[in-house]
Amino acid sequence: MRVSARRVLTGLLILGGISTLTQFLRFCLPCRQPSQGAGEPVTVLVRDGWRVSSDVPLVFVGGVPRSGTTLMRAMLDAHPAVRCGEETRVVPRILGLKLGWAAEKEGVSTKVLDRAVTAFLLQIIAGHGEPAPLLCNKDPFTLKSAKYLAHLFPNSKFLLMLRDGRAAVYSMISRRVTIGGFDLSSYRDCLAKWSGATQAMLTQCTQVGSKRCLAVRYERLVLHPRSTLQTVLKFLGLPWHEGVLHHEEAIGKPGGVSLSKTERSTDQVMRPVNLDALTRWVGHMPPDVMADMDAIAPMLGRLGYDPRANPPNYGQSDPQFLNNTQRLLRGDFKTL
Amino acid sequence: MRGQKVSMLLGCALLCSASLLYLGLSGIDCPPPDHAHRHTWADAHLGSTNQSQASPIYYGEDTPLIFIGGFPRSGTTLMRAMLDAHNAVRCGEETRVIPRLLAMRATWSRSARERVRLDEAGVTDQVLDSAMRAFLLEVIIGHGEPAARLCNKDPFALKSLSYLARIFPQAKFVLMLRDGRATVHSMISRKVTISGFDLTSYRDCLTKWSRAVEGMYSQCQGAPEGSCLPVRYEQLVLHPEVEMRKLLSFLGLPWDPAVLHHEDLIGKAGGVSLSKVERSTDQVVNPVNTDALSKWVGHIPSDVLREMDDIAPMLARLGYDPLANPPDYARPDPIIAPKNYTLADDDFLLLSFREQKPYIPVRWRRR
Repeated sequence: MRVSARRVLTGLLILGGISTLTQFLRFCLPCRQPSQGAGEPVTVLVRDGWRVSSDVPLVFVGGVPRSGTTLMRAMLDAHPAVRCGEETRVVPRILGLKLGWAAEKEGVSTKVLDRAVTAFLLQIIAGHGEPAPLLCNKDPFTLKSAKYLAHLFPNSKFLLMLRDGRAAVYSMISRRVTIGGFDLSSYRDCLAKWSGATQAMLTQCTQVGSKRCLAVRYERLVLHPRSTLQTVLKFLGLPWHEGVLHHEEAIGKPGGVSLSKTERSTDQVMRPVNLDALTRWVGHMPPDVMADMDAIAPMLGRLGYDPRANPPNYGQSDPQFLNNTQRLLRGDFKTL
Repeated sequence: MRGQKVSMLLGCALLCSASLLYLGLSGIDCPPPDHAHRHTWADAHLGSTNQSQASPIYYGEDTPLIFIGGFPRSGTTLMRAMLDAHNAVRCGEETRVIPRLLAMRATWSRSARERVRLDEAGVTDQVLDSAMRAFLLEVIIGHGEPAARLCNKDPFALKSLSYLARIFPQAKFVLMLRDGRATVHSMISRKVTISGFDLTSYRDCLTKWSRAVEGMYSQCQGAPEGSCLPVRYEQLVLHPEVEMRKLLSFLGLPWDPAVLHHEDLIGKAGGVSLSKVERSTDQVVNPVNTDALSKWVGHIPSDVLREMDDIAPMLARLGYDPLANPPDYARPDPIIAPKNYTLADDDFLLLSFREQKPYIPVRWRRR
């Protein structure tokens, strides 16, 4: 084919037109923010030459309070490769603060703010306990920000503790555990709030994805600890360690389980895993609440806890752990 | 020939739609913003060179930060703009997040019960301070261009002056002071909302101004020797060179004549970056001037004027005659040093104001 000058000119014109169109589209089409993960990881100096970066493997344990979050983290703490430690109390607060800032136009860019929050969180999570290959943080309401945390910490995973809302609410009311936003004088209010919070956290967990967020049922954990923990450890990429089934033996030991005197579940978690708290709630729900249960707390039905069964059948316990509960009821495990 | 033209046209159309599809699906990366405000610790020192092998320099507790603050409408923006004009300093706009985090930290340490709970959780003061430092450094460093001396201006951050001095032992503090009447008039006339302040009442605002300034001023006095310098707005605008030389010497910085002409460096690299949303921007684009000195005169209700000293005791303490409308800013009364200040002295000094300086209603004249 002979290439005439005219053809060349036409060709060039067409190319010019296409490139102009592209540039024009560049301004018209919504552009996407350059991948945040492409930035340098945030690194902090914790103490004495121990540096931690934001790409460190991390696991966040959470859920509505009174759902077995402390038990789960205590069992994980008993694993030599993991260190969770006590509730930091400040992690959810700075997350809440950041949420309030995101809404307004602040003086700093989002990227800088994210880095600053990351640095703060790293210092707290790493600094409040001993080093370990897998650092872990347990502050129940952090799972409301799972998506944000997943973005700040690219190698983080999440464990969402789920429990029959009636049991969780009975626990908070009977033990008078103050939780922000929950009116402890009303089963109705607490159940509704439990349902809302659970839904929010489950949504976050789903958005983070099954590779990074695992929901664990409290009932399943206490009825079948071995198989449940096998699933959890596999999810976390950790080898099995028999010690996780006997966390009570690692309390107060170096590399073991550190408990806080002021936390509300300490007295329970000092005992071996047991079924004591499974159905304690039965008979304590006000009849009017029981009648409206499904309307008050729709998440019950959605999670598979029959709202009209008091109690539902949670399942059969593993025989070796049934022993724990019997010994407990006999008073074998003294608490401080 | 026609067939060829048609096929060429078809080819173009196909190409166009293909590129459109590709762009729409894969998305285009947003162009970087005008000011490259994305500076990690590494960038700050390694620049744009590809020295990935070199470990980043870590800013720590010894960073010689400069914190500028004071009550809003006291010349804080002017001060930071003038310092920004210095070739070695970068302050940048208000971050707004720093004072909020500092306030939150203050509430945690105020409750004894909370302190116990935090200690039990391993979240000791040391851990919390490290976390605060890390947050503050990330914000201050990432907030603007790199510079030899980093600086931050958030007026109310100095409500935590003592705390900042503790976690950053090498930091210096510049506390802007101004005649409370001018400050409050500026707030009210420009409708600058500050939480807790009733903009319909001069009395309320002056009372609260006095309390707030007292808190910051006493922390400035209590800070380690040579770490906090109070600067009076009136002196800064009346004698900018004298004040800036004093300030730069205090900060350990060499003299740079650019600080007297900050207006020439607005929007320039290495110069003064202004915020579109801050309330003083329209004023600070102008060169240093004395326009705002006595604008407040005649605007304060007479009942407030009469009780001025009771409403705002800090006026007298800072050397602003509460009964002069306006005082003669050109001849400043000294700030009352705390060790000389007792209740008895208060009365004496008030008397001496009246005895030594007869009340002359001097109206400031523009040069």
